[in-house]
Amino acid sequence: MLLIRCPWCGPRNEVEFSYGGAADVVYPPDPDALSDAEWGEYVFVRDNPRGPFAERWVHTAGCRRWFRAVRNTVTHEFREES
Amino acid sequence: MTDDLMRSPLAGVTFTAPFVRELPFLAMVNLRVGTFPHPLPGPNRVGTLDGRDVLWLGPDEWLVVGPPGDAPAIETLLHQALGDTHGSVVDVSANRTTLAVSGPHARDTLAKGCPLDLHPSVFGPGHCAQTLLARAQVVLRQVDADPTYHVLVRGSFAPYLAEWLADATREFW
Amino acid sequence: MTHPDRLWRNPCLKWSYDVVIVGGGGHGLATAYYLAREHGITNVAVLEKGWLAGGNMARNTTIIRSNYLMDESAAIYEHAMKLWEGLSDELDYDILFSQRGVLNLAHTLGDVREGVRRVNANRLNGVDAEWLTPDQVKEFCPIVDISPDVRYPVLGATLQPRGGIAKHDHVAWAYARAADRLGVDLVQGCEVTGFVRSGGRVVGVDTNRGPIRAGAVALASAGHSSVLASLAGLRLPIQSHPLQAMVSELLEPVHPCVVMSNHVHVYVSQAHKGELVLGAGIDPFNSYAQRGSVHVVEHQLAAALELFPVFGHAHVLRTWAGIVDTSPDASPIVGPTPVPGLYVNCGWGTGGFKATPASGWVYAHTIAHGEPHALNRPFGLDRFTTGALVDEHGAAAVAH
Repeated sequence: MLLIRCPWCGPRNEVEFSYGGAADVVYPPDPDALSDAEWGEYVFVRDNPRGPFAERWVHTAGCRRWFRAVRNTVTHEFREES
Repeated sequence: MTDDLMRSPLAGVTFTAPFVRELPFLAMVNLRVGTFPHPLPGPNRVGTLDGRDVLWLGPDEWLVVGPPGDAPAIETLLHQALGDTHGSVVDVSANRTTLAVSGPHARDTLAKGCPLDLHPSVFGPGHCAQTLLARAQVVLRQVDADPTYHVLVRGSFAPYLAEWLADATREFW
Repeated sequence: MTHPDRLWRNPCLKWSYDVVIVGGGGHGLATAYYLAREHGITNVAVLEKGWLAGGNMARNTTIIRSNYLMDESAAIYEHAMKLWEGLSDELDYDILFSQRGVLNLAHTLGDVREGVRRVNANRLNGVDAEWLTPDQVKEFCPIVDISPDVRYPVLGATLQPRGGIAKHDHVAWAYARAADRLGVDLVQGCEVTGFVRSGGRVVGVDTNRGPIRAGAVALASAGHSSVLASLAGLRLPIQSHPLQAMVSELLEPVHPCVVMSNHVHVYVSQAHKGELVLGAGIDPFNSYAQRGSVHVVEHQLAAALELFPVFGHAHVLRTWAGIVDTSPDASPIVGPTPVPGLYVNCGWGTGGFKATPASGWVYAHTIAHGEPHALNRPFGLDRFTTGALVDEHGAAAVAH
């Protein structure tokens, strides 16, 4: 069970949240300029690190805001700064 | 405004536990605004505005709660306060009903299905939160130190939650 | 049968192999066996950082079925099923394969339509499949509650009679012994820390026991595939998640088959020894921790209790989690990579155990020939460029 710090509501139980996967995935500025391989990479490939991971969460059952957090995928600890 | 056609989603439900009751038809107006000319409560807190309760819901969202039939007056009040400021005022009274759970067993009852820490050192009178109760989304507020809690729940979840409360309170009376 | 003291040697690590397989789980061991048995490639090492079959092979719920919707999936899983059916004889070791039947329950009209469609698709692909009414479900598995007034009523089920369970440890041991007898080196406590490159090609691995040269390096490391691939500069379309499971205490025989429910995210069988084995849906977040959150287990048990009221008398003995490697289309990735000399076998997600024999069989073929077999050609990395996905979310055991 994770205790997740919503930047607006404070620490809340994991069950109030939904997961949004990797953060900082930027939509390609000019998709038409990408090759099929580059587009496929954008659509399907995400980092999957063992260790600190910047990710998106949404406080579904709370304020319903999306936010970014850095969590260690081995210890499940959230890092304070994000 | 109340009239004979209004019907609570919990109409006909008998609350077996003496410390659970419904407060139907409370006026609820949702306010979304960036900057508001009057002070509004901060995170997880309840404030007041011209005699009404104001519940913090999010960084730009509040719920103004008044007695049954008060919604038009609240809307007028908020519109006047907003003036030319950009904001959203919506009567959501029909969205939810309110369950009051009070007395010495209230905290233990809610703790069975709520992931919040309801210990008085963490959550006390004047506190509110959007959270889950028995996996139903609710707005929970503590009204007094008895303690009395108000559970604001959507109409479609209200009968389920009333049944859950009947089960959760069974051991206490 | 008197069990031998040792099933495989504890070999001296050589400095060079024709093929180095990274990961000594079921898929890695099966790959080594089929490389030796089918292709005569015996100068093979299986490198395992822990102990053989100590990862997902030791953590899965041992369900075997081949009733997948898509033609490509049905073909590879049915190939696995046929191999399972002969495996105890082939490996001369009883893997306790019990074809007791797998039910996939339908709880909504959408489930029913999907189930009937899948039965038809399975039959067209030569996979045994039947559609059962609620009463037939009750007849096949008497402890399932089919009353209509529960939250998720049973509206029917697909049945694959040839589906069932096997004993996971025995499967690993059987493959390990057979591969060992054919000359494969099974090396435990040997962690790969990098790849040896020459030009653009992978020509070996660095390990905690020194560098090892290899004609080909084949990853079979499930949840850790992304970590290893990144050492070769390769990004995989894989996300690693916890998948939890649990067992009850030992009970008298009460549950005659395998019951799965996509809708409520639970799957249950009773192991040979007598414990109920239950699996959950994946935890939503990425993790390498081999543990998940308790609310997922709670949800799963609530579902199990509604389907099987009799389980209310049972106790959970222990819970655990594995790290599953999920892919965007819920189908595996088996084949060459853009890095010459490096092969990948991953993305089996929640369903890798049932595929073990076919996974090893096609992977061995791919490594031996330098190109995929027809069965795994649809499952290449290139499908994430071409868009020719094998979208198997509907037939996966759980959503991911």
